[in-house]
Amino acid sequence: MSLELLTIAFFGALIFFLLLGLPLVFVLGGVSVVFLYFTWGPSAFYMVASQMWGSMGSFTLLAIPLFVFMAMVLERAGVAQSLYTMMHLWWGGVRGGLAIGTVGICAIFGAMCGISGAAVVTMGTIALPRMLERKYDKELALGCINAGGGFGILIPPSIIMILYSLITGTSVGKLFAAGVLPGLLLLILISGYIAIRCRLQPHLGPALPPDERGTWGEKLVALRAVMLPMLIVVMVLGSIMGGIATPTEAAALGVAGALFSAAVHRQLSWDMIRDASLRTFRLTGMIVWILFAAHAFSSAYQGMGAQDLVQDLVSDIPGGPWATIILFQVLIFFMAMVLDPLGIMLITLPVFLPVVVALGFDPVWFGILFIINMEIGYMTPPFGFNLFYLKGIVPPSIKMGDIYRSVVPYVAVMILAMAIVMAFPEIAIWLPGVLF
Amino acid sequence: MRVLSRYVEAVTALNNRIGHVSAFLVIPIFLLLLLEVGLRYLAGSPTVWTNELAQMLFGAYVLLAGGFLLANRGHANVDILHGRFRPRQRAAVDVFTSTLLFAFVGALLYFSSSMAWESVGRLEHSMSAWNPPVWPLRLLIPIAAALLLLQGLAKLIVDLQILFGTAPPQSPDTTPAEDAS
Repeated sequence: MSLELLTIAFFGALIFFLLLGLPLVFVLGGVSVVFLYFTWGPSAFYMVASQMWGSMGSFTLLAIPLFVFMAMVLERAGVAQSLYTMMHLWWGGVRGGLAIGTVGICAIFGAMCGISGAAVVTMGTIALPRMLERKYDKELALGCINAGGGFGILIPPSIIMILYSLITGTSVGKLFAAGVLPGLLLLILISGYIAIRCRLQPHLGPALPPDERGTWGEKLVALRAVMLPMLIVVMVLGSIMGGIATPTEAAALGVAGALFSAAVHRQLSWDMIRDASLRTFRLTGMIVWILFAAHAFSSAYQGMGAQDLVQDLVSDIPGGPWATIILFQVLIFFMAMVLDPLGIMLITLPVFLPVVVALGFDPVWFGILFIINMEIGYMTPPFGFNLFYLKGIVPPSIKMGDIYRSVVPYVAVMILAMAIVMAFPEIAIWLPGVLF
Repeated sequence: MRVLSRYVEAVTALNNRIGHVSAFLVIPIFLLLLLEVGLRYLAGSPTVWTNELAQMLFGAYVLLAGGFLLANRGHANVDILHGRFRPRQRAAVDVFTSTLLFAFVGALLYFSSSMAWESVGRLEHSMSAWNPPVWPLRLLIPIAAALLLLQGLAKLIVDLQILFGTAPPQSPDTTPAEDAS
């Protein structure tokens, strides 16, 4: 079989079995094992087993259960509740203020934990009912939680960044630093969108009546809510960027901070720990087993020589380097509608990244574009994770169709943000350049 | 048929038990890393063993998740078509796709066994400053692969029972207690 046919058969088989509902880990592992058998012969499997041993020994990967555990604890630590009260007092008087406040809390959550689900679930249970009570537009409210939830993977720390660094060999610290300004950019753009929309159409997000806005005294007292989250952010990000701890150790500090916050809010209990442990186990196990299978995938992919083929194909794309980058993002955008971020990374990065580097682009910058794209993927139908997290907790009166429709303007704003970071790479690469 | 159903229940129960115990390993991992940071900055005396021990626990932690996740449908899949099939169609498709599962897990079991055999034979150590024995962890890879394989067989049995309409009265598909996630 020619290389072209082999490559098409390989990716075709991957997609075929994925659509049939076989879990990603067995699709990657199984298809690769079959193809490896016919290209390099069974001895190639030794490499797969020994690479598996290698990832078990990866100290960076060890950060994943800790960051996940931290998020699971924070989700129930009562931190979000008091943050919300504060936002309510400070922003309630502004049109659309509760939605802007919600996006702000999502950003704080993003800076505390590295996954997107935690913010969606907590804000969906705390902020959404209150926004609906205040006659906020359903779609505006749903959309802002969807969009804000994605901040978790762009604003450091971020599990997706850890995985990106494992797959591509870029530095985790640099990626973390590179996510800060694009994260702020997204926060500003999305808040700006809500503010402008509600200024033009006040019925979408009415301002609270003056007697509910709270006095200055109440407002200042409520500011205490920010202290614990800020402490955690300083502990985790401060220790990484200040060179005091590795990302893995910083994650352990974050767990300590999260448990401490839970204790302060009197939410710390054996049940909560057990539940958080089990959910952490499920998510971490799932991610790392996919990585195990991915070793088989990358061996098979390289074994076939598909890399050269793809590079040849890409070099024929008309329009030069920028057209290639944009084409990659478009491909990732569509893949993100059906696949999860880890699957997309494993399938595309070994193909795309050598091309990106050969074209003279910065892999850290490309990583940030990739992650903004994943954030969009979290909220694009039919399979964005955030959509499903949200559907799981909203009142029955809200249909999946409402949630699908709610994301449209927010997706447009995020694509704008991605275009800005693409046009001005300094937004991403300036901070890591200063710090590292 | 009774024997098969008993097998399914036993394997699922075993993987669930292992999963519910292993899930707590995240706590010692957390404490070890915290201890290391504390010792380094507060006591000024970093250790050679904390990070490596945490790393080894992590290895066991993720390996043992494999079978447990399969028992609880915790391995992420794409549901776009799968969710719309009728139960018997879905069982038929799952029987067909399970060939890939067995190809991957079988290859993993075979080659990790020979790696483990070699490691146990020379009682391999990690060669680090602390130099703990690592052969038990090497041995855990084929054990984890075997647990996954057993659970894969259990799922195959259930699917075949659904396909041929011989599923026992209580659907074994729901026997593993779905945990909170």
